[in-house]
Amino acid sequence: MTVAGRPAAEPARELLPTATGARTRAAVGELLRPHRRLALGGFAVLVTATGVGLLTAPLLGHIIDLVAERRPADAITTPVILLVVIAIAQGVTTALGLSLVARLGESMLAGLRERFVERALHLPLDRVERAGIGDLTARVTGDVSVIAEAVRNALPELARSVLTIALTLVGLAVLDWRFLLAALLAAPIQFHTVRWYVRRAVPLYAAQRVAVGAQQQQLLGTVGGAATVRAFRLAGEHTGRVRQRSQAAVDLALRGIRLVSRFYARLNLAEFVGLTAVLVTGFLLVRNGSVSVGTASAAALYFHSLFNPINAALGLVDDAQAATAGLARLVGVADLPLPPEPHRPAEPADASIDAAGVGHAYVPGHQVLYDIDLGISAKELVALVGASGAGKTTLAKLVAGIHRPTNGAIALGGVDLGALDHATVRATVALITQEVHVFAGSLAEDLRLARPGATDGELRSALEHVGALAWAEALPDGLATVVGASGHRLTVAQAQQLALARIVLADPPIVILDEATAEAGSAGARALEAAAARAIEGRTALVVAHRLTQAAAADRVVVMHDGRIVEAGRHEDLVAADGRYAALWEAWSDQRRS
Amino acid sequence: MRTGKDVLGRAIAAQWRPVTAGSLMAAAHQAGEALVPVVVGVVIDQAVSGGDPGALVRWIAVLALVFVGLSFSFRFGSRAAERAAERAAHDLRIELTERVLDPRGGAETGRLPGALVSIATADAKRVGAVNIAVTAGTAAAAGLLVGAVALLWISVPLGLLVLLGAPPLLWLAHLLGRPLERRSAVEQERASHASGIAADLVAGLRVLKGIGAESAAVTRYRRTSRDSLAATLRAARAEAWHDGSVLALTGVFIAVVALVGGRLAAAGDISVGGLVAAVGLAQFLLTPLSIFSWVNTEFAQGRASAARVASVLSTPPTVTPGTGRAPAPVRGHVRMRGVAHAALRGVDLDVTPGELIGVVAPNPATATALLQCLGRDVDPVSGSIELDGVSLPSLEPGDLRAALLVAAHDAELFEGSLLDNVTAATDRTDVEPALTASGADEVARNLPQGTATVLAERGLTLSGGQRQRVALARALAADPPVLVLHDPTTAIDTVTETRIAAGIRKARRGRTTIVVATSPALLAETDRVVVVDGGVVTAEGTHADLMRDHETYRTTVSA
Repeated sequence: MTVAGRPAAEPARELLPTATGARTRAAVGELLRPHRRLALGGFAVLVTATGVGLLTAPLLGHIIDLVAERRPADAITTPVILLVVIAIAQGVTTALGLSLVARLGESMLAGLRERFVERALHLPLDRVERAGIGDLTARVTGDVSVIAEAVRNALPELARSVLTIALTLVGLAVLDWRFLLAALLAAPIQFHTVRWYVRRAVPLYAAQRVAVGAQQQQLLGTVGGAATVRAFRLAGEHTGRVRQRSQAAVDLALRGIRLVSRFYARLNLAEFVGLTAVLVTGFLLVRNGSVSVGTASAAALYFHSLFNPINAALGLVDDAQAATAGLARLVGVADLPLPPEPHRPAEPADASIDAAGVGHAYVPGHQVLYDIDLGISAKELVALVGASGAGKTTLAKLVAGIHRPTNGAIALGGVDLGALDHATVRATVALITQEVHVFAGSLAEDLRLARPGATDGELRSALEHVGALAWAEALPDGLATVVGASGHRLTVAQAQQLALARIVLADPPIVILDEATAEAGSAGARALEAAAARAIEGRTALVVAHRLTQAAAADRVVVMHDGRIVEAGRHEDLVAADGRYAALWEAWSDQRRS
Repeated sequence: MRTGKDVLGRAIAAQWRPVTAGSLMAAAHQAGEALVPVVVGVVIDQAVSGGDPGALVRWIAVLALVFVGLSFSFRFGSRAAERAAERAAHDLRIELTERVLDPRGGAETGRLPGALVSIATADAKRVGAVNIAVTAGTAAAAGLLVGAVALLWISVPLGLLVLLGAPPLLWLAHLLGRPLERRSAVEQERASHASGIAADLVAGLRVLKGIGAESAAVTRYRRTSRDSLAATLRAARAEAWHDGSVLALTGVFIAVVALVGGRLAAAGDISVGGLVAAVGLAQFLLTPLSIFSWVNTEFAQGRASAARVASVLSTPPTVTPGTGRAPAPVRGHVRMRGVAHAALRGVDLDVTPGELIGVVAPNPATATALLQCLGRDVDPVSGSIELDGVSLPSLEPGDLRAALLVAAHDAELFEGSLLDNVTAATDRTDVEPALTASGADEVARNLPQGTATVLAERGLTLSGGQRQRVALARALAADPPVLVLHDPTTAIDTVTETRIAAGIRKARRGRTTIVVATSPALLAETDRVVVVDGGVVTAEGTHADLMRDHETYRTTVSA
């Protein structure tokens, strides 16, 4: 509960890393490798589809030639039948190619997001907390969806457009190489336009995302706190804040559309230059007899049909930029090294805890714990007591192996935490904090996170053990009820009981409870206390307690003050000793005495 | 009462200037796009076929004019349309915020904050976007018209073929797409599930770490991710085949146009250039026609969003505000007679000016109902509540809340510094006494920049006890004539709580204060405690007396 124990409040955040461009490309290559055949197949089919489609323009040109040569009307029947065949072939190959490209993109995306989540969940908590959990959430939602969007919409369109452009240029060259030269006159303008656009768009869209995020935050604060706003008569001020944030987002959106409209205006210029060049070339070539009118028409039709794919491909620059940035942020986390594991991991001998000379500072120079010596024997129940800010939560986290102490050493079962591998630490000691989270999904799935193979019977008996079975079975679908963010809402007390049931299922020899009952209100607190007592039965337990009834029930009470242990002993002895604990107890029971 | 139709209609009407300008310019743009193949045909006809350089220069100049026209009209048309959309969305956002914050309340009942925010952002945006759909629709109509005229001018039978053939073609494409679209929507929803699960696991990271369930969570996520992948692939395949069919249909259509146009040209009814233009126009016309179906979808979405916006805007208020002014100065005499609402069954209570009174309700629902009545979030079904002899419903809500402030247990902190939060509801700059009394000074001392520290994420980076102390400081700093505090110290340790209780007493000296709580530390400081049980006042006395004599009180308070 100390302020220092909440590094999120510290001003400087150390965000999680972002991969370099080279590393991102390499990571994409790694993701692509297992799907090489699919990639080649998809590419080949799309090339075929585009190539078939390009036969349309010369066939139309051929029809024009037939007409110009005043052939009989029936002569055009064959090319028209070919046009129909081409249309159908193009449709089928395009469909096939698009599904293959989608399969490739989606499989790679799934691979990436799985690798990301796996790494993210295994990162040391203090590393994540230094960055803020929000950083991770933003990557797993925002960045993944930007990339998914790009894979789903931009990738197929880009693949088709680029192929169309490339093959159309080839087609122009086949008609006559001079048509290709003419068409390429547009390229420098397009190249310059894209560079011009990207330079402006990237910072603008970044600012826009920030502004939209700020607007969202403000609305959440204002709307979520509507009752408070009304009570304190802050409606005017809050409406003003929303107006300001919304206006800022609107202004940036309009700046964005101005930029986009200028972008397309410049592309229009390129279209005109290219089209004129192709027409003039056609004029000259027809005049000197190198090509027919039909070929010149086909060239013009080819170039005109490039308008859409070129605009589409260049318009995807934004999506590509955003997706690349998102990709770099995902790869950055997926590449993070895990903390080193000991070479020869030891096994704890028993369920004891031993802290020797432990001190801790979250920020160098800002010491929150000093010289903690605390031994807890197996199956002992120790209560940690003290005012807010005394360092109880920090000590709890250190013992749970969440943070490594700055000084001193902590041993579980006689083995230093550093000599235990990660999995062993987690199997040995469990920590429940005030922070409750009900995982989205069924209640049974939530519980099975603690013991994946648990049978329904085991789940029920765990719930029963913490007094939660009655309400759990009374839920609309019993244990299959969907709970969490988008499901059935559980009360804070129910969520905490669920957390205790997870402990029963995970069955660790050591349990640390940090104020797990504080938010439940007085009546709920008593029920939770009883549930917690049953959950920690038979385990070594360190309980951070504000309610002194919990302390009175412990084997030993440890009193902390300003980062130090100031008293320790049995409840009765401490009360008799007339020290700090006695004063606390006096105040506590005074108010409760008649 | 407002309907979705009203909301939609007003969103367009209020922006009629940019919508009209945008429509005209977008129409000009479409017309320009339609003219490009026509001019190309003319160039082939007049210049390339005939080898006439003069005609080439003339018609290239015309082409340049067409390009200048279409480029500028797109540029300014799209800006006008976007401006109309953004402004309409902004106006709705403000209107929704004002409705939610309205002193009469009611708008947020039964709606989660997230859902309301989504209405004020996503739905407002969709309603605004209808303005873009209007301009695009107008433009498509113009493009269609120009294309049709050009085609009919080239050849009446060919023109009729394209104009009558294109709509059934698009309709066929639509029919082909519909089952796929429906299926794809379902699949997409399942696909997005994976990202929701990932975010949820990350949000619960500390809990996962606490029980060592990281690997179990990864396994679970991988399963979800694979399910999502399968669903996405089904959707993508359906979409790909839909795209392919549309492509094939379009190709066949062009072939038919080429067949008929070629025969007409062979018969000498139309020129070669006319044939080129007709083929180009047949391709072009598919765009405005498909814009119509897009406009249709946008309007359907806009209507659905407008209905959601309207349902918030037209939520009936929970109380009818009066217009009376509070007596000045407010002495702080609160009188309740036979108040019945929800768990209350006829509460009689007199709080004399300047009194510090405790209210203990063994059933939390009773406390909530009492606070709702005092804060005028609801009006009691029967009975009366008076402040200095004036009934609450007759008062102007702002006036009432200035005189009688209910500081709720779950009061929110807002974005801003700790000091900003504490001074939010007061003009005074000296809030030191309020900070000291509430123990918020200690919170500030532990923060990196003291009272100037910005409370990130609306104070969620603070612990529960720290948040409560800042909220209490804000209530004390507001210094209303009557202050109602609900469970202000539940997350604070006993020692600090005792100090805060004394602080409250000192800060509120001479002013009426009602503390609704079950904490003995707070109740011990009050002048008198009232027990409300079973909906009525069952006991009254000092904390010490009640602890001695009243069984229910003792068990409620000394939990």
